[in-house]
Amino acid sequence: MAVLLNVENLKTYFHTYHGEVKALDGVSFYIDQKETIGIVGESGCGKSVSMLSVMQLIPTPPGKIVDGKVIFEGQDLLKYEAKGDEMSSIRGGKIAMIFQEPMTSLNPVLTICRQLTETMEWHLNMDSQTARKRAIELLKLVGIPEAENRIDAYPHQFSGGMRQRVMIAMAISCNPKILIADEPTTAVDVTTQAQILDLMKEMTERFNTSLIIVTHNMGVVARYAQRIYVMYAGRIVESGLSDDIFDNPQHPYTIGLIDCVPQLGETRSTRRLVPITGVPPNLIDMPPTCAFLPRCKYQIDKCKSEPWPSLRPVGDQHYISCYVNTREKK
Amino acid sequence: MTGSSNSEARLSAAAGWDRPVKKYSEFRRTVSVFFGRPLPVVGLVIITIFIIITIFGPWIAPYDPLDMDVMNSLAHPSSEHLLGTDEIGRDTLSRLIYGARTSMFIGIVVITVSTAIGVILGLVAANSTGAPHHIIMRITDGLMAFPSIILALLIAGLLGGGLQNVIIALTVGMIAPVIRITCGMALSVKENDYVTAARAMGAGNLNIMLTEILPNCFAPILVMMTMGIGATILAEAGLSFLGVGIIPPTPVWGRMVNDGYRYLLTNPELSMAPGLAIMLVVFGFNMMGDGLRDALDPRLRGVV
Repeated sequence: MAVLLNVENLKTYFHTYHGEVKALDGVSFYIDQKETIGIVGESGCGKSVSMLSVMQLIPTPPGKIVDGKVIFEGQDLLKYEAKGDEMSSIRGGKIAMIFQEPMTSLNPVLTICRQLTETMEWHLNMDSQTARKRAIELLKLVGIPEAENRIDAYPHQFSGGMRQRVMIAMAISCNPKILIADEPTTAVDVTTQAQILDLMKEMTERFNTSLIIVTHNMGVVARYAQRIYVMYAGRIVESGLSDDIFDNPQHPYTIGLIDCVPQLGETRSTRRLVPITGVPPNLIDMPPTCAFLPRCKYQIDKCKSEPWPSLRPVGDQHYISCYVNTREKK
Repeated sequence: MTGSSNSEARLSAAAGWDRPVKKYSEFRRTVSVFFGRPLPVVGLVIITIFIIITIFGPWIAPYDPLDMDVMNSLAHPSSEHLLGTDEIGRDTLSRLIYGARTSMFIGIVVITVSTAIGVILGLVAANSTGAPHHIIMRITDGLMAFPSIILALLIAGLLGGGLQNVIIALTVGMIAPVIRITCGMALSVKENDYVTAARAMGAGNLNIMLTEILPNCFAPILVMMTMGIGATILAEAGLSFLGVGIIPPTPVWGRMVNDGYRYLLTNPELSMAPGLAIMLVVFGFNMMGDGLRDALDPRLRGVV
């Protein structure tokens, strides 16, 4: 399968009064056609920033993409003006994004119909009648009952789950090549979470769309993603096929993440959950060494003197940025 | 499989999803919310009456507003002169009716023009960083530093009196707060997720401004417009009082209040009548504006 989006060495910094925040410090990832990848990490590790950087939606100032390439269909998206026409036609048309908060991601004063058709009118040059018909079809597709009547409703008349469905309908309305879901299920409850994720999976399969799921929930990516990138402090620390990551995590941080997920059949007597101690580093004042070092159980002397290592292969399509061979130490 | 689809059907029945949703037109709903409460309707009735008076003034007024009946000056209300006459014997009621034309015209034109200009400039300021933002906002700050009446006085003084110049002067005086409010609202609306979401869907700058930001700034702008009409009519009174307003003898409410106050103890109706008219118009516009705001905002419409 051909690589659809290739992000190379992306660096996004934010300038603040306290100093320069290196929100992304050399992030590289790629996604194939029809593939689903997961980007996992705790709050503030740069997951959302990397997605917003790809879309060039970083608020500038204070943010700035200082280095890197975002190759999409052979073009470097970072060469385009952030507010220019090329980016506008890619956003929504080629790469669509679903946001975390369904309650606030829809404009409260416009009807659902207006918000859905607008996107199609921009990107597909549809007239309003055709767009309306398609909007109703899309709403049916994402499982909104009585779509013909509900299409003229306002967002506040919809529940959170329904709004997220509308967001999905809007995102897939122009048949994008890539769908980016930025923590799509954080704000909805567990039953709705599963429905929303299944729906996204179904829609991306139906329209041959690649899907990037950004989440802090290991369970979400385990079921849906083929490959997983684990992020920590603005870098990718481990990447690999989902099965490898879950069965055989190599980076101490990934090991910690998986150890603190409860598993079925476990009781307190068989295994206690192991938290990762400490807090993530302050991105303004990054240590010259590995940023995970203060929290790492596996650290060796080399970790304290050498800079943060770049990714090295530890298996087929499996990379970690760590000096330690954790498999031996376990 | 059948079991699960059955339970799904039951679930959706419990949620009320299988019930047909009543189809309603948003326009009818807006109208019904507007007319559902008494005060907006009262406001609308008052405004309608004044507009009728404005249009049909010449047919309603019992006398020519400029006709002097010197023998009958400072007459008290009688069947001949329903609201009495002023110091040179002009019929107060007729002057009031003709004055409605000038006053309402000034109020509406000034507010429409200043809001249109102010909203455009405010949106541009909010959506640009750097030079355009700073230039617009610093000029606004400069204008805000003067009380609007002083500013209008300055401009009217430079341009001279007369209807057109009074409108220009008052418009300039009213623009600054509109820019300030629009820009402030737009800046806060801009931070909402749905604006980023719209950008992520490929909306351009103009689209963001007009379909995402402007409709969400609507409520305070509308309130400001309705309050502004009253303020403008009063400001015109101030200009007339200072001698740079509408040139006499054209009847206009503000001037009538000022001319009449000297006779407040003997002939209170001389300034009370136009004062009351101003109050009614301001009240009417405010009530109508409140009603419109509630009826046009889909969120408020749902609960009111």
